[in-house]
Amino acid sequence: MTRLSGGLIDRSRSLSFTFDGKSYTGHAGDTLASALLANGVRLMGRSFKYHRPRGVFSAGSEEPNALVELRSGARQEPNTRATVAELFDGLDARSQNRIGSLSFDLMAVNDLFSPFLTAGFYYKTFMWPRAFWEKLYEPAIRRAAGLGSLTHRPDPDGYDAGYLHCDLLVIGGGAAGLAAALTAARTGARVILADEDFRLGGRLLAESNPLEMPAPEWIAGIEAEFASLPNLRVMRRTTVWGAFDHGIYGAVERVSDHLAEPGKRVRQTLWRITARRAILASGATERHIPFANNDRPGIMLAGALRAYANRWAVSPAQRVAIFTSNDDGHRTALDLAAKGVEIAAVIDARTDILSQGSYRTIAGAQVTGSRGRLGLRRIQVTQGGTSEWLDCGALGIAGGWNPNLHLASHHRGRPQWNEAAQAFLAQEGFVPGLTIAGAAAGQGSTARALASGAEAARAALEALGITAGLPDLPQAEDASLNQYPLWHVPGQDRAWVDFQNDVTVKDIKLAHQENMRPVEHLKRWTTLGMATDQGKTSNVTALAVMAELTGQSINQTGTTIFRPPYTPVSLSVLGGGDTGPHFRPRRLTPTHDWATSQGAIFVEVGQWMRAQYFPRVGETHWRQTVDREVLSTRKGVGICDVTTLGKIDVQGGDAGEFLDRVYANAMKSLKVGMVRYGLMLREDGFAWDDGTCARLAETHYVVTTTTANAGTIYRHMEFCRQCLWPELDVQLISTTDAWAQLSVAGPNARKLLERVVDGFDLSNETFPFMACANLTICGGLRARLFRISFSGELAYEIAVPARYGNALMARLIEKGADLGATPYGTEALGVMRIEKGHAAGNELNGQTTAQMLGMGRMVSTKKDSIGAVMSRRDGMVAERRVLVGLQPVDPTDPVVAGSHLFTKGAVQDTANDQGWITSACFSPHVGSAIGLGYLENGAERMGEVITAANPLQKQSVMLRVVSAHFVDPEGVRLRA
Amino acid sequence: MPDLQPTCALGAPKPKTARFGVLTVTENANLALASVALRRDAGAPDLPLPGPGEWIEAEDIAVFWIGPDQWMVEGHGRAADDFAHAIAHRALGCSVTEQTDGFAAFEITSDAGAEPIRALLEKLVNVEAHCFTAGQATRTGFHHMSVFVIRRADDRLAVLGMRSAAGTIWHALTETAGRLEVTA
Repeated sequence: MTRLSGGLIDRSRSLSFTFDGKSYTGHAGDTLASALLANGVRLMGRSFKYHRPRGVFSAGSEEPNALVELRSGARQEPNTRATVAELFDGLDARSQNRIGSLSFDLMAVNDLFSPFLTAGFYYKTFMWPRAFWEKLYEPAIRRAAGLGSLTHRPDPDGYDAGYLHCDLLVIGGGAAGLAAALTAARTGARVILADEDFRLGGRLLAESNPLEMPAPEWIAGIEAEFASLPNLRVMRRTTVWGAFDHGIYGAVERVSDHLAEPGKRVRQTLWRITARRAILASGATERHIPFANNDRPGIMLAGALRAYANRWAVSPAQRVAIFTSNDDGHRTALDLAAKGVEIAAVIDARTDILSQGSYRTIAGAQVTGSRGRLGLRRIQVTQGGTSEWLDCGALGIAGGWNPNLHLASHHRGRPQWNEAAQAFLAQEGFVPGLTIAGAAAGQGSTARALASGAEAARAALEALGITAGLPDLPQAEDASLNQYPLWHVPGQDRAWVDFQNDVTVKDIKLAHQENMRPVEHLKRWTTLGMATDQGKTSNVTALAVMAELTGQSINQTGTTIFRPPYTPVSLSVLGGGDTGPHFRPRRLTPTHDWATSQGAIFVEVGQWMRAQYFPRVGETHWRQTVDREVLSTRKGVGICDVTTLGKIDVQGGDAGEFLDRVYANAMKSLKVGMVRYGLMLREDGFAWDDGTCARLAETHYVVTTTTANAGTIYRHMEFCRQCLWPELDVQLISTTDAWAQLSVAGPNARKLLERVVDGFDLSNETFPFMACANLTICGGLRARLFRISFSGELAYEIAVPARYGNALMARLIEKGADLGATPYGTEALGVMRIEKGHAAGNELNGQTTAQMLGMGRMVSTKKDSIGAVMSRRDGMVAERRVLVGLQPVDPTDPVVAGSHLFTKGAVQDTANDQGWITSACFSPHVGSAIGLGYLENGAERMGEVITAANPLQKQSVMLRVVSAHFVDPEGVRLRA
Repeated sequence: MPDLQPTCALGAPKPKTARFGVLTVTENANLALASVALRRDAGAPDLPLPGPGEWIEAEDIAVFWIGPDQWMVEGHGRAADDFAHAIAHRALGCSVTEQTDGFAAFEITSDAGAEPIRALLEKLVNVEAHCFTAGQATRTGFHHMSVFVIRRADDRLAVLGMRSAAGTIWHALTETAGRLEVTA
């Protein structure tokens, strides 16, 4: 087919593109669909289930058939609608969902098995033999699903996100949207006009004479005025795809989809638009009328035929027929005839209809069949029991218009059937602040769309206290549709309702027979409306067919729930471009650069990257490194960055009282200059988090949390402060990042620190175990020193402003060279705390209690605190499992965390389960693997040999129950 | 002066800077910070106390609101000092906490007035860019983090976020500014 006259394409700019490897030429302003039609290509895809040949069906985003793969390599994008793919030079498109060529798809054999692939076949077949499911059925179904294919290569393009705010968001740039935006923007209000098309105008571009002047002329004038209004933002190629809470709308701007390669531009932007008011002017989608074999390439919506002729100057065939149940079909015939296209006939289901042009009109007739394997060749027309075949290469179907009410229904709004409009109309008010205008509100004529758009904008602004005058709008066509309700043509052969998912009238009848009558059941049973087009061209028709079968009204039948997105949104743009190492924030410790320079191996701990261990030349296994770090620390001095532990500054006259209430143990009684271990319980009495609480001054505490709970505990404490006890004079602020905190542990710790402090007395008498102080180091640097130990050794934690973290670490290692100063990472830290029997995240897993931790008496009975009462519940008090140490009888045996504990010789089942191993490591101090675990009556079973069962690895190991303190159980070292 | 060499939040001895067309992003390593919170019976501190959403620049300091009865005080060029100690003297009876190294600060300047800053804001944070004018500050989400954003002037914006996440913040700022340069 060659081009028609006129149109809105730029014939001076030719664009080359390929489809299935064959080269074609189109023009700027074309879509892939219009360019293919202009090159005589009607066959563009295969259907999902039966692999039936399919051609373009629509001229917009509702397209169910013409889905293609765009681009190649890593940029390959499946399931792209050819109807909205803007043509660019070098565009490379391929058909999809086929084996073999598009014209000879081997999978078309499915069509022969269609009696077995009816509604609900997913639920009825593939049931046996059971073993086939995983190996055969599921892989085969997964392969068939999804239509197009992915390359599984990383997307090379960039995506980003942004935030916009406005007084009024106008969704849709057709007649109603333009009138609304013009009305609103002239007031100076902040207005955003978003349209999914690359050109403003909507259906104005698709009609021949909608206005008193040429529509492009009027639009150009509006656009010129728009350009002069700084308060108006016009967003072309932008689909508003979801209405969310609080006036927030999701939109995707296709920034460079229309370019061969985006270069440095992002491909798409995800916008979050916060609008005080919004107008939905999204137009309407034409519906078809199912008849036998109505899915051949060349059969399309009549409004789409008209759009291709008027906007893109192309017709899919030289001889065209129209099947209509309203006046709109005649409009298409007139426009096509005016362009020189031969009209084979207009078949109107209504009687007493006169021809509006010099072509044949068959009133009171229906299309009852079609022929043409890869494209329409002829249609069967039946009138009063008499049938005839008419030759034609295309058939336009005009079954009425469905308002695009999706966004107005995203808050579970249920559209109501309107008999006069013969359409579902959205109920306003479900999305607060959103009003509907134009064809989306059932105001389908151009004149009514313009007027309703302007009025909607005026009313929306009035609600914001902004007065808007209505603009002078051009005279416009105001024709009525005179819709006759015809939902399908009865017949024995398959008549498609949902083209993309291959759902026919027969399938709906079967669903009805099988009692899948509620619309939600109908949808799941038949998969109607579940494809990428979400049934935009099929849902209402299917509901009407079901209504006919059940005898209910269409309104009683109702619609399914509308959910975002309105049209498909790529996962890449939803991710906002943060991928790979930027997928989430990465937090580095203040000694990260120093650790990197030392060749540290890092480990992710939440968002933090922590040094896990510091391998040295000659060490070939991480265990060698960790053992060395542990032994060096216990023998000399080790230094570890512990900045990641949460630090919360607690100040105020009631700071002590506040901490007494959030900690299970007492803190108000803590002396200034001292530190106390603290345990927090949840409201339900279970252990939550532990840490230290240092009292730096009378009204100033600094508490630490575990790394994992830093944010959670801070939030909890703020909740307590603001909501539970607002009467307390207490102020909180996080200082986690402000201080680089290093643990200096080992018998030489004091000697090392004495070399950096500015004359501070570190003797046991002046600065005993659990002391804390502000001091200066290295010639005047402010610092905080805490004498606390996680390793069981003489140990301190020293904190300095974070910017000095790298330098202090280097200084300590340098100054401690003769003392055996060794950096150690989280692995050695973990080994040493297990050796000392300190609880960590493994022991504080949310299912354990203070009593289990051996800290039952820490829950003070002299004061109330969060969780204290609940921790004394019968069930909690009766808990007999307590933390013990575990050591293999055979030192070469492993100890595996997660193993369950049983009395030696007992049957290993749930009834006999006596606990589990929480933490395990190889202890270089002990010389074997060791573990911590919760064991029933553990305190009374010291020395007993029990069994640790690890059925996943088919292990069963004999362990001896020992004290959890493998190192220095008397605590002499840490008080040295 | 301590005999230790400090490191900037991005890991180098000197602050990083990068230019993208009319926008320049610079790490502000010399910004001192201290939080001030009013205690129950505290007198009024000798500091400007801006209202919610506001940032005020005084002679030697600047202050922005961070919560009910809570402010953050900025001391430009004073990161090496014990800034919190100095502020505590001006806020007697208040809870003052050192925050200098709690945050990494990034200053963004425009050579072309307010418009590039507005365009950048739209891509960075969910604030109403047109209304976020000079003298305003807010705490808001930014790439899954929490940051303070301060409009110091029509052509200047500051973003303060967790020091430990300085690299992530820098990446997000420079990527966004770079993309604006492409589309400008």
